[in-house]
Amino acid sequence: MEQGTIIEIQGLTKTFRGALEPAVKGISLSIGRNEIFGLLGPNGAGKTTTISILCGLFPATSGKINIDGMDMKGDLSNIKQIVGVVPQDIALYPTLTARENLDFYGHMYGLSGKLLKDKIDMWLENFGLTEAAKRKVNTYSGGMKRRVNLIAAILHDPKILFLDEPTVGVDVQSRNVIIDYLKKLNDNGTTIIYTSHHMDEAEHFCTKVAIIDNGTIIEQGTPAELISRYDGCHNLESVFLQLTKRRLRD
Amino acid sequence: MIKKLLASVRKETLLLLRDRVGLAILFIMPMVLIFVMTLIQDSAFKTLNEKGIPVVFVNEDKDSLGITIEQGLRGSTLCAFSDSIDGQPATYETAKNAVADGKFLVGVVIPKGATDAIRKNVMQLVEETMSTDSVQTIAISDSVDITIFIDPITKKSFLTSITSSLREFISIVKTKIMFQTFSDQIAEIIPDQEKKPVNAFNKTQIIKYNEVFASKQIEEIVPNAVQHNVPAWTIFAMFFIVIPMAGSIMKEKNEGSVFRLHTMPSSYLLLINGKIITYIFVCMIQFVLMMSVGLYFLPMLGLPKLFMGNSYLALFIITLATAFAATGYGVMVGTIASTEQQGAIGGALSILLLSAIGGVWVPTYVMPGVMRDLSALSPLNWSLNSFYELFLRGAGVEAVWYDALKLMLFFLLTMTVASIINRSNRKI
Repeated sequence: MEQGTIIEIQGLTKTFRGALEPAVKGISLSIGRNEIFGLLGPNGAGKTTTISILCGLFPATSGKINIDGMDMKGDLSNIKQIVGVVPQDIALYPTLTARENLDFYGHMYGLSGKLLKDKIDMWLENFGLTEAAKRKVNTYSGGMKRRVNLIAAILHDPKILFLDEPTVGVDVQSRNVIIDYLKKLNDNGTTIIYTSHHMDEAEHFCTKVAIIDNGTIIEQGTPAELISRYDGCHNLESVFLQLTKRRLRD
Repeated sequence: MIKKLLASVRKETLLLLRDRVGLAILFIMPMVLIFVMTLIQDSAFKTLNEKGIPVVFVNEDKDSLGITIEQGLRGSTLCAFSDSIDGQPATYETAKNAVADGKFLVGVVIPKGATDAIRKNVMQLVEETMSTDSVQTIAISDSVDITIFIDPITKKSFLTSITSSLREFISIVKTKIMFQTFSDQIAEIIPDQEKKPVNAFNKTQIIKYNEVFASKQIEEIVPNAVQHNVPAWTIFAMFFIVIPMAGSIMKEKNEGSVFRLHTMPSSYLLLINGKIITYIFVCMIQFVLMMSVGLYFLPMLGLPKLFMGNSYLALFIITLATAFAATGYGVMVGTIASTEQQGAIGGALSILLLSAIGGVWVPTYVMPGVMRDLSALSPLNWSLNSFYELFLRGAGVEAVWYDALKLMLFFLLTMTVASIINRSNRKI
């Protein structure tokens, strides 16, 4: 593992129980420290499966993963301590308030007392949720829920933040707030691994992207490199469509 | 670790407090059940234990048999005796109609001349017995027809009790007459012998028996609807937490909280332990509430006050073990179920079944043999048996520890099953 690499994946394969073919087929990737890495692909390409394995949700069928110098199989508990995960779906208790949700998740990351309270106050303030902090989450708009969903993953100042479609279903204002704060986190040293269907967002937000289809990485590089690599492509979306074709996916 | 656990308990408590339907299921439903079931079953228990079976008696005989049976029924705790209907002396017809109308469960009519008929029969029997003729033919000259009217809803056991009592009274009268007749005959054969006193028969009753409920209580506790229903429905309520508990586990799966928690440096077991602690606390609150119903509220309705036995330590042990068993079962159902509906329906049905088998709805002693054997498999039965030991027999820790151990083993079994299924589900 190179000095500047925070995640090293070699030959990652995942075949789900009962599935005829692997969801992820021997992926190898290196993600640099302090990068904003976009994992892009159509539906069913293997993005969420890859992210889920990296988060420790379920084990890989084969392959090696090293995160910040720790082996995924032997040091999972320590790895979980340095990563934050923002799931695609809202993972909050709807009948608890934002503050109660964050208090619970903060404790699960090992935070407590004044430190936890200060962090909750700070993030609620930063994301414009202080006023609504005492309201139950089920009274929130989609954008507000997304913001709380994000805060729950960054309370413990993770070194690596995984985001699975963090801006799905939110208005432009909320999306801008989320992206701005993700950039600030990245400026403070957090490595971000991110999946999205918004090519425009990814093009401007990511420092490096990999395009995945049918469980295989088919291209990777900086957005500018990818755009320049393919004739007639003026943006990341056109590169994406050229590589993954226009066929509809399940 | 402790802080994480406390945070999990706090979260679970908040979720529970904000689930009004769940709270109603946990606290109000079982309290209503105790009220309703105790009031319904109270009359059935009272029929045997307190008021006795309502019996209307018609004495057309007015002689020894009628008088003896009347005295016997009046003095029996088995019967609520009456010889009048609506202020009028009962007759054959009015008694028949009163039983048909359900005013009495049983009607007994002693016909006119019943005692005379017995006397004639006995006299004939004695004469033929003491006759020196070689051929003895004992012929009954006249039979005694006692009529018993029975309400069709009367339980066979009640009826058997009444008819047994009647047979006993008739037997007493018959023996008494026979004794007197033999004495008179002997006096005629041997004139010099001093005649036996008239009340000599009464001195012959040398065998007596006392009925005492086998209990270690200082005062005898008669089994009644309160002593059965309060512990039975408390146990039912404690196990009914399977519905909100399984629902809570399912919600966490569906709402993505479990997904997030699996990515955190905290074990899933910690989350489950938070639930177990919270729901055990809920079970203990349920227990206190249900007992308070038996101690304070049911007596306000004229029902007997619950007697909680002598050993509060034993009570605490068996209640805690029951709470563990109930929460373990809730975790298992919540882990096995794929949807909230599955958890709610499967959990409710299984508890209804286990409670029916376990003797919550009707005591196991009225069940057929096969069902009684089956009841030993229900954890609700283990718990109920221990409560009976404490509330009815006045026992202590020594009587409940084995059932408490079985309940704790049941908890470990359910947790093991839940753990295996959870691991299996994650190996995708």
